[in-house]
Amino acid sequence: MSTRALPSPVQTMQAVARGYLPRVFQVRGWVLAAIPVLPVLLSLALTALLRLKGDHIPSGLYLMAFHGVLAKFMLPIMALVAAPAGIREDIEQRTIPLMLARPSTVWMLPFGKGLLWFGWGAIWLVVACAGLLGLGSSPGDFLYQALAMIFAYWAILAFMSLLGLVFKRGTLWGALYLFIWDPLVRIFPGNLQRITFVHYIESIAGTRSSEVAASQLLAQEQISTPVVLAILILFGFGLACWALCGWKLQATAMGLAGSESEG
Amino acid sequence: MIRLERASLRYGDILGLSPTSFQLPENGGITGLLGPNGAGKSSLIQLLAGLLPPSGGEVTIFGQAPFRNPAVLARIGLVPEGDRFPVGLNGTRWLRMMGELSGLSGSELDTAIQRSLLAVGMETRAQLGFSSMSKGMRQRIRMAQALLHEPDLLILDEPFNGMDPEARLILMDLMRELALAGKRIIVSSHILGEVAQLTERILLLFRGRLLAEGSVPEIRELLDRHPVELRVASEDARQVARWAVEQGELVALRMEDGAAVLAVRNPRDFLPKLQDAIATGQLPLNALDPLDLNLDAVFQYLTKDNA
Repeated sequence: MSTRALPSPVQTMQAVARGYLPRVFQVRGWVLAAIPVLPVLLSLALTALLRLKGDHIPSGLYLMAFHGVLAKFMLPIMALVAAPAGIREDIEQRTIPLMLARPSTVWMLPFGKGLLWFGWGAIWLVVACAGLLGLGSSPGDFLYQALAMIFAYWAILAFMSLLGLVFKRGTLWGALYLFIWDPLVRIFPGNLQRITFVHYIESIAGTRSSEVAASQLLAQEQISTPVVLAILILFGFGLACWALCGWKLQATAMGLAGSESEG
Repeated sequence: MIRLERASLRYGDILGLSPTSFQLPENGGITGLLGPNGAGKSSLIQLLAGLLPPSGGEVTIFGQAPFRNPAVLARIGLVPEGDRFPVGLNGTRWLRMMGELSGLSGSELDTAIQRSLLAVGMETRAQLGFSSMSKGMRQRIRMAQALLHEPDLLILDEPFNGMDPEARLILMDLMRELALAGKRIIVSSHILGEVAQLTERILLLFRGRLLAEGSVPEIRELLDRHPVELRVASEDARQVARWAVEQGELVALRMEDGAAVLAVRNPRDFLPKLQDAIATGQLPLNALDPLDLNLDAVFQYLTKDNA
């Protein structure tokens, strides 16, 4: 009988993250990297052209790029691209039984794989925010914008991963939440904004003044959450989602056919 | 060591495995799980490998329930059925991860990977990506991952599927070596010939229940009692029929256009006689087709026969 020590939760996390590391350098990984960086690069190229022509550059362009493009569209798309590459991928390709048959810490498997995609995505979000400096952002703005992106990505990715474990069509439900609920909440009572990711991004990154239309200002009570609290809420929410992912995998009997039966 | 006490498995309303009881001893050896598709082999394997908990009854491996039990799983190696592999990884990288998930690290892990790859004959090709490997190579890598942590119990679900004859022989030799070294091996197959080459001990499953438990000769005896249908195509089918009715093994006979269909018991006695008759020119023969020598037909027969 073997007397070898069983892998700890941290060793399980490291093993999965290390094992799947090459995945982020493949097509999906580069697509993920391009999602936040390309719009910023395009904006930089466009402003460079305008400068060459001697045209006026709008002063709040970086805010528009941050709130209107990165936070509103690119961040959710990143999570929708990265989450299916997490533990959901092992279920889809039916390799999960091989991992579950190991004496590792099962509840750490989703986090181990998710951490890899979080880290890779976070790097490119910071690069994208740094690119906003070229559009007129300040180092102070950059810090808060990068923090907002990182913590929001952490929370959204964890949420999407959880949906992917709970529902077969988790990505679809996630897309509906991010692209329908977030805009829709603007017409509901103000406090409902607290159950959107956008609210916390705005609370951390600061004003979206030039991007807000007058109709929006008039339509809804403007609410705000202190920066530190917003960071804690996003971090805590993400952590809770990862914990639920772990619990779900630990508690779900998953056979050779993934979650389906096989005779 | 391995004990099932009225263990059953349900998938919702579908019964995958009826209440089943058996025990396998502590010492090394190979046990064959034999049954046609849908017999319950994979269900039983999932219970033994700790992937699914029993819906009823009890499964005990090394004295404990295996489901989500790292202490038991550390002593089990699983090679599941099907060509499943992680997209975008190469063999070595994946083996390293699986080794680490079993608690291996450092030089111990390096040695384990080398040893396992050598055992399956993949030591020079494991650097290939899974998508660049043949089906047989991927199966060998899956076998290697099951051997990494030197498990006491090795469970293989249809391991020979997709393997070329040479790879099959290598795998069979490896399994025999492991059994001699004191490992308990459970191997499932729907082909009796494969299992018979490996083991004397067979668990016969059919439609989710354990039909019989015994040695290969005992199972062979059951098969011999099963009438096998042979279609003998000949220019003179009536002559074939006349010859066949004189043989004691003939159970039934029907004529087709240009052929006689013979149902015979004890085909291992009957076929040499037929061969002699053809060789000595007694019977003109165009073709000989066994119609129902597949395992499904045998199981159908066994269940009707209440064997």
